[in-house]
Amino acid sequence: MAAKRRSRGESLTLRYAVLGAWALFCVAPVLWFLSIGLRPRVEIITPQPIYWPTFSLDAWHMIWEDWPMAKYLRNSVAAIFGSVLIDLVLAIPAAYSLSRYTYRGRDDIGFYILSTRMMAPAIVAVPIFFLFKNLGLLDTIWALMLIYAAINLSFVTWIIRSYMLDIPRELEDAARTDGASDLRILWEIVIPAVLPGIITAAVIAMIFAINEFLFTLLIASTPDAYTMSVALANFTGGSDGVIYNAIALVAFLAFTPVFLVVVAIQRHLSRGLTMGAVKG
Amino acid sequence: MIRASLSGAGATSVAPGLSAGRQFKRRNKRLKAWFPYLLVAPAVIYLLLITLYPGIYAATQSFYAIKFGPWRPVGFQNYINLWNDYQFWGALRNTFIIGSISLALQCAIALALAFFAYRDPWVQGWRIVFLIPMLFMPSAVAFIYKLFFLDARVISDILIRLGLIDSILAIQSSTWLSRGLLILADVWQWTPFLFIIFVAALQSQDQEVEEAARLDGASWPAIFFNISLPLMKPVIIVALILRAIDITTMFANVFIVTKGGPAFGTETISYFIYRTGFKFFNFGYASAASVVMLILTILVAQLVVKRAFVPARG
Repeated sequence: MAAKRRSRGESLTLRYAVLGAWALFCVAPVLWFLSIGLRPRVEIITPQPIYWPTFSLDAWHMIWEDWPMAKYLRNSVAAIFGSVLIDLVLAIPAAYSLSRYTYRGRDDIGFYILSTRMMAPAIVAVPIFFLFKNLGLLDTIWALMLIYAAINLSFVTWIIRSYMLDIPRELEDAARTDGASDLRILWEIVIPAVLPGIITAAVIAMIFAINEFLFTLLIASTPDAYTMSVALANFTGGSDGVIYNAIALVAFLAFTPVFLVVVAIQRHLSRGLTMGAVKG
Repeated sequence: MIRASLSGAGATSVAPGLSAGRQFKRRNKRLKAWFPYLLVAPAVIYLLLITLYPGIYAATQSFYAIKFGPWRPVGFQNYINLWNDYQFWGALRNTFIIGSISLALQCAIALALAFFAYRDPWVQGWRIVFLIPMLFMPSAVAFIYKLFFLDARVISDILIRLGLIDSILAIQSSTWLSRGLLILADVWQWTPFLFIIFVAALQSQDQEVEEAARLDGASWPAIFFNISLPLMKPVIIVALILRAIDITTMFANVFIVTKGGPAFGTETISYFIYRTGFKFFNFGYASAASVVMLILTILVAQLVVKRAFVPARG
């Protein structure tokens, strides 16, 4: 079907040249970075770049044996899952309220939630640092969990809200006529119906949480709270200089699960990334 | 396609007077009026705590000199210093220069790619391949580019081999090459964000209009620029706003690749605040900069973003 739609004069050669060139541009640095992760350290920074390195798993052994990588991984997973859980608990009722009821101030509340997404992390960095310091939460994964949840809450609420607007109201009205309470309708009818939206929101929240850098850098000061993202910066310190092959492997360690999950939900991705403004 | 209206379909009130509704007593009715507020309250309170509290805290702090010792009130001195601080203005200018060039490039490239890809039978495949850079942690991307351009000098080596340049590029001593490096890394990582959205928008467009134009003999660029592009405008605006927000907060790349150099030529506003607060421990001053940025953000949000996300009321 798609091929038949080809317009007059549009050249397939041009199309594949453009798309192919960009694909190469996307993938070449990644493959080269992978080769960095799988080569010995002496072959990384050399007077002449080495294009055909010797294969070595040095970095792989190093990240597990010389660094508490398992701990970083555990910290990342705990902080990320915790934050997504907080987000869903707060966002699902909020999204339901914003999508199903009419009340005074609703649009302003909705926009307020959205607008928190616009705040640059650096703007609130100083006060947030002192907030967690006063709460005694500096250098803990609890602080990371709370901050990741706050960063993603607007996104998650708006995505779920967009999916809720799509459910036919008849479904709920029928249940309401049968005497079901609003909370039961939310739990038994609405949530199952918007499950794809909830999963999309959770995946996007997960990606942003993995990526978060500035707050993690400020809050985590010892390996107790280091996550994968900041652990990377950790490989640069000390007399050894930047340990690129370890960095490369850690980057791929974080990339792989994200990539698999995103491929699974790719149909919903455009809608999720625009907080529901664009339907894919 | 675009359906960002808060008052959109399905947002009508819970219809009163349904058979079950009649059984509610007055007390329940009052509870019912509060119910939507109760549902949205936890999220709002959480966000207020994490945005309003820092806002007030920063506003207070900005009137004090805080460096190691106790807080010393200084009135508007921090703001006056900020106004006269060429590094602050420089950071604003750098953020704007790097951000706008990067955003323009990403938008143009993503549009071109989306235009070529959306009718392609392998569009799913292209999407997955193009997505790859976006799924790396920004700190990892920063290291990729640092190594590629600065430490291992692979790009210089390739260009020399191709005979395009004579000697190794001195990126770290050139403001524009350093800015170019940050722009390149951002374009590489984030063009897919726009691409995915644009493809979805193009795919959801009514094909019949396009078909009719083609039967009338319109060429494909004409169709794209006169029909598809105007239809996509609301989507493009929303996508660009989201991207612009993230670009202005660019931090990891600056922190890892250029450290704001050379001569503060790549220092973005995020990095300025970080450096002032957490490297020089000048927290009052950093807070004053934060407050200025906060006010700018609120202005932009109210004037630009609100219109894009809540169009066509009523």
